[in-house]
Parts: sequence; structure tokens; C-alpha cells
Amino acid sequence: MSEPIVLGIETSCDETAVGIVRGRTLLANVIASSVEEHARFGGVVPEIASRAHLEAMIPTLHQALKDSKLSLKDIDAVAVTGGPGLVGALLVGVGSAAGLALGLNKPIYAVNHLAAHVSVDSLTHTNPLDPTIALLVSGGHSSLLQVEDITGSITKLGETMDDAAGEAFDKIARVMKLGFPGGPAIDSLSHEGSSTAIDFPRGLTTSNDWQIRPFDFSFSGLKTAVARYLEATPDYKKGDVAASFQEAIVDVLLLKSVAACKQTGINSLVIAGGVAANSRLRAVAQERCDKAGIQLRVPSPGLCTDNGAMVAALGSLMVSAGRTPSPVAFDADSSLPVTTISL
Amino acid sequence: MSKVLAIDTSTSRTSVAIIDGDRVVFSGHRDGATAHGPSLPALVQEALAISEVDEVVVGMGPGPYTGLRVGIAFAQSFALAREIPVRGVCSLDAIAAQVAEKDFIITVDARRKEVYWARYTDGVRVGDPAVNFPADVSGAPLHTDLFPDLQALVKLPGNITEPIYLRRPDAVATADRP
Repeated sequence: MSEPIVLGIETSCDETAVGIVRGRTLLANVIASSVEEHARFGGVVPEIASRAHLEAMIPTLHQALKDSKLSLKDIDAVAVTGGPGLVGALLVGVGSAAGLALGLNKPIYAVNHLAAHVSVDSLTHTNPLDPTIALLVSGGHSSLLQVEDITGSITKLGETMDDAAGEAFDKIARVMKLGFPGGPAIDSLSHEGSSTAIDFPRGLTTSNDWQIRPFDFSFSGLKTAVARYLEATPDYKKGDVAASFQEAIVDVLLLKSVAACKQTGINSLVIAGGVAANSRLRAVAQERCDKAGIQLRVPSPGLCTDNGAMVAALGSLMVSAGRTPSPVAFDADSSLPVTTISL
Repeated sequence: MSKVLAIDTSTSRTSVAIIDGDRVVFSGHRDGATAHGPSLPALVQEALAISEVDEVVVGMGPGPYTGLRVGIAFAQSFALAREIPVRGVCSLDAIAAQVAEKDFIITVDARRKEVYWARYTDGVRVGDPAVNFPADVSGAPLHTDLFPDLQALVKLPGNITEPIYLRRPDAVATADRP
């Protein structure tokens, strides 16, 4: 089986997503999001997300099969996000994937959501993905990873001590009354302002921090600084605040990513997760990686946010690497560490 | 005769059976209020080792949501993969079928100190299932610790296509917060 056809299911948060790949070729990527149902609550409500997953699961499967022009009988393996994520949400995908795998009599790969985010770049760039440094930035996670083998060995170099980067975007957007999710709103508003207008703090970048926790992040101080600025400056320019806040996050994410490449001697950086869709992060990453001689790989924006293609992509890499499938009875793990790539 | 795969995950028990008319080809269960995820595929794998199936019937609750959804998602996806029909029925009715009294009430745990319940007279459910505090459920003898009978489950008529939740999700809109 040189080109396995793998169907991937992702339900760890508020997107019900099904992707289908053949080897490293994307055949379908269908996402049903319940984000609009969550917007009036200012964040994802787990029970609303779980109900929406069950409602959307079968229609999303049908649409993905239609887009790929395949039938379920063509599928060689089923992959599913086994964690981390909201447990009630994960279990809808896990139940569905187990039903498909037993119904089709095919192997199941329960994979790590975070590793899947990194692996999706294998659908965009054909050269080998690993070894690489990976910056994983989303609403729930901000980590720097050393990926020796995407199907077998990931080491965590550092992570956020408090808020995730995407969470910081959401919280600042809420204070500025820009709605939820905050990332796209701040990104577009930032084009109307100056990124150097306000000098917001860069967390964990003192010389002492570089000694003891070079690859960890902290965004809570930045959040407080922005909130104080808004209070003290009633006639603030929204564009300037958005651009300067975004710059502080982008700056610190990339300072640490480039430093991780230099320290490990790995001249490859993958940026993955929902925040990787941020236009400023993508632009500054390209500048800095070019200057440092690092090969930058960022998936297309549509593959950065949660999707099923990334789960299928990692499943496909697992099949090709000859990895053992998951047992039929595995348990979803809401706090699965990134170092555990499959269950 | 049709061989029916019966699934119920509406209680703390995960139950699976294969029913062929009046014959129970396979019957198994695993207890554990948070174990439906691993228990269900393991039981279905055991069942399929004994016989193939050509229809699926699944309990649609009421019951604690996370476990309930595992059973429904699994049943619907399994049926899709096998290209066989799937049908949903009321889990409380499959519990009530075991009780031979004239007038009684079935309750199951609904978490948050509440119970899901329904009343049965002459073997027929009176009204829709509801969720209340146990102190507010009375009027007939109560049966509180039974699990669905899967032989009865597959004989229930009709097709319920939505989970029986009986509660709205808990969440307060930002605009309504104090």
C-alpha cells in the first residue's frame, strides 16, 4: 500500500471536520463549524459544540466522500483525533471513527491533535517534514516543539505559562468589543494602524528568562498592559492597539522560534495551528527565517485552523511509516501530551 | 429474519447485543459511567466475531449526554459503513419492557441530582420522558436501578432521529451576564 487512502475525523473543539487524503495528496477537507452558535457566549460552550458535532457528523462524512469522488469502501484506514480537546466533543468523533473502522473492517489510528496540526504541512510541501522545529499556536495551545519524527518522536522545548496566543487574541478582542473569535478581527484591524505606535511588553524575554526558560511563553502580562492602556486612553486608535498588540505576540513567538532553530541546529521551522493563519505572523516569519537561513513552512491558511485533513495526513504518514494502529478499545484523552503522538 | 445489532449507551452501562427474532445471538455489557468510548467498540468487535448483522437499533436516551452520543455516533457511522439501516428508539421504553406491573415509573440518573423518568400504564408510556429532582417524581411505584433490555429495544416501533436531551445547554450569553 504505497499510497494509502485515509479518512480523518476531527471534533476536539467546535469544528466537525472530515478530511480524506491519498498518500500526501488532499482529496477532501470539509468543515462544519458551530462557531456562530458560540459567538454570543464569548467562547466555545462544550455542550453546544458536542451537540453540533453529532448533528453534523454524518452529513460532513457524506460531503467529504462526495468531494473526494470516493466511497467508504475505498478507504484503507480511519484516523481520528484522540486528544487533547474537550472530552465530550472528542468522543463524538471517536465514536463515529470506531463505528466506521469496525463497519469497514479497517484499522483505526487515534492521533494527537497537536501533532496533526504540524503534520498537515506534508500536504503542502513535498520534501520531508522532519526533523524540524515546530511553533504550534492556537486558541488552546502555544508550544515550541522539536520534531525528530512526526510519527514517532516529538520533544516539547517550551510552552505558554498562562494564556495561549490565540486566547490572548480572543481576550483582547473581547475588551475592544471586536467579537469572537478575535484573531481574524484583530488581524484585519491591524492594517489600519501602526505596529510601532505602542510599545507593549514581550513576555519572558529578559536576559534571565533567556537563561532559565528560553522557549516558554507568557501572554498574561501583555493582556494586562493592553487593558490598562485602553483604560488610560479613552480615545485610543483601535488600529494602533490591534497592530501593536499583534506585533508584541508575533515578535516574541518568532524570537523564540528562531532561537530554537539555532540552538538545536535544525534549519527548518513549521508554524501550525489557528494563529498560523495570522497574516502578520506569516510575513514576519518569512523575513526572519530568510535572514537566519531557516526554511519556513506554513500550511495554507485553510489548513491552519482545525480541520480533518490534518488528521488524515498524520494517519497517512503513520500508515506509510508502518506504525501499529490503535487498539479497537482506546479512550479519548482530553489532556493528551504532545509527546504522545498516537494512542 | 434480520440480525439486528442493538446498542445502548444511555446509562452507566454500555450494552450490545445481536438479536435474531426471538433469539439472542450475542449479549454483552460493560459497566462504567465514563467508559462508553472504549467499551462500545470492544463489545461490538466481540459481537461481530460471532455473527454479521444487517440492521442497527440504538437507544436515543434520555441519558447522560457524553456517553449517549458515543452510542449514537457509533451506530450511525457503523450503519453508513455497512450500508445497512439504523433506527433510534427511546431507551426508557427498553427498560420499562422488563417490568410486568400495571402502573409504574422508570427513572435513570440524569446527573446534577436529577433523574430522567417516564410513567407506564398497562405497558404503554404515558406522555413524554421528563427530567426532575427525584423528590418531584411520584404517583406510582418507582424502578430506579434497571438497565435497558436489548431484546425489547429492537422490538420498539418507530424511529427517533434526534437524541432525547430534555435540557438546553448551560451557558449565559455575554450580553446577559451581570
